[in-house]
Amino acid sequence: REHRLFKIYSNKAVAQIIVPGSEGEYGVTANHSPIVSELKPGVLTIFHSESSEPEKFFVPGGFALTHPNSVTDITCPEAVKLDDIDSSIVSSAFESAKASFEKADDGSIAKAEAQIDMEVNKALGAALGITL
Amino acid sequence: KITAPMKMVSAAKLKGDETCLASAKPYNAWSDAICGPSQEVEDATFEDLPKRTLVIPLTSDKGLCGGINSFISRATKSIVAKAHADGKEVDIAVIGDKGRAQLVRAAEITPLIQQTMTEVESPGTFSLISSLSADIITVAEKKEYDGIMILYNSFVNAAVYKQKYKLIKPFESAGDGESMLEYEFEPDTKSEVLQDMYEYLLTSQMYECFMDAAASEQSSRMTAMENASKNAGEMIEKLTLQYNRARQTRITTELIEIISGASALEDKD
Repeated sequence: REHRLFKIYSNKAVAQIIVPGSEGEYGVTANHSPIVSELKPGVLTIFHSESSEPEKFFVPGGFALTHPNSVTDITCPEAVKLDDIDSSIVSSAFESAKASFEKADDGSIAKAEAQIDMEVNKALGAALGITL
Repeated sequence: KITAPMKMVSAAKLKGDETCLASAKPYNAWSDAICGPSQEVEDATFEDLPKRTLVIPLTSDKGLCGGINSFISRATKSIVAKAHADGKEVDIAVIGDKGRAQLVRAAEITPLIQQTMTEVESPGTFSLISSLSADIITVAEKKEYDGIMILYNSFVNAAVYKQKYKLIKPFESAGDGESMLEYEFEPDTKSEVLQDMYEYLLTSQMYECFMDAAASEQSSRMTAMENASKNAGEMIEKLTLQYNRARQTRITTELIEIISGASALEDKD
């Protein structure tokens, strides 16, 4: 079922965020140089203050834009709190994606979709501490 | 009689659409930094239209919804007129059967319509709008537009909506007009990131506009149904009065006939 898109935070001042960029995770604090990053599936971490416990979301992709004025916009088609993810579902989703991947014809859309499925679930697993 | 339940249905749908819109706006807020905020059609001069623009008017498939579609068709026509007066080109990809029907009535508009999309479920889901924007990008790439304009009704409250537009210009990854020069790009293939971001940006913008248009449509339908109910009620009152008067006149006439008949008989006696 399709969920409606929600904002998570709007105009929120935070101490630091860690963004899953395509070249690796990177941290953003105030005065970070402007950057546009295409995200890879991974964990977005938010530190509301220097000493607070981080809030973690899994994102399957999207974009992070850090502007010259220390505002960072992060936009994703989906973001799920790590605590809300069921690891057993992730494992079985990975296995079925892997099966589809192996069955599909090389170069087909089905194969590409299955590959994306596998990568996202693998990243989900990594975020939860399981190696898939 | 049917207008009252139609109004209730619209009211219920409006609640849902307003909720969707309330989350769509902050979701799409990131695009303002790139494209600027949406503009109102009312005072717009359209002087700064790019050379070739694809205009996407958002209209409904169904009627009985008040003026939402007429406002959009009118706005579309004035945009085309202004563009042509300035020697610029406009193509149209209309969403919604009502808009299409209104636009094809204008001879100068019909040839500009590149595509019509109907039966697009309102208010739509992210997947649906993703695939719609993918279609649009396919059309746009073939014709190399300098800008895509989404023209839609924006919900203000249950009684008010305004026509607005969003203008989205393609990114330039190199050369004189290179976009976003002050930013680093990751991965550093700037043109690829810009291409991906453009597709996502168009989807994000369309998503907000769709939600806004849907809420406007419902509020307009509610008002239209309420007015229809009121007008029907007034008409029923008027007709009832008329009917009763006619009835009284007929009864009076019959009475007069009976009485004159009776008195004629009496006189004979």
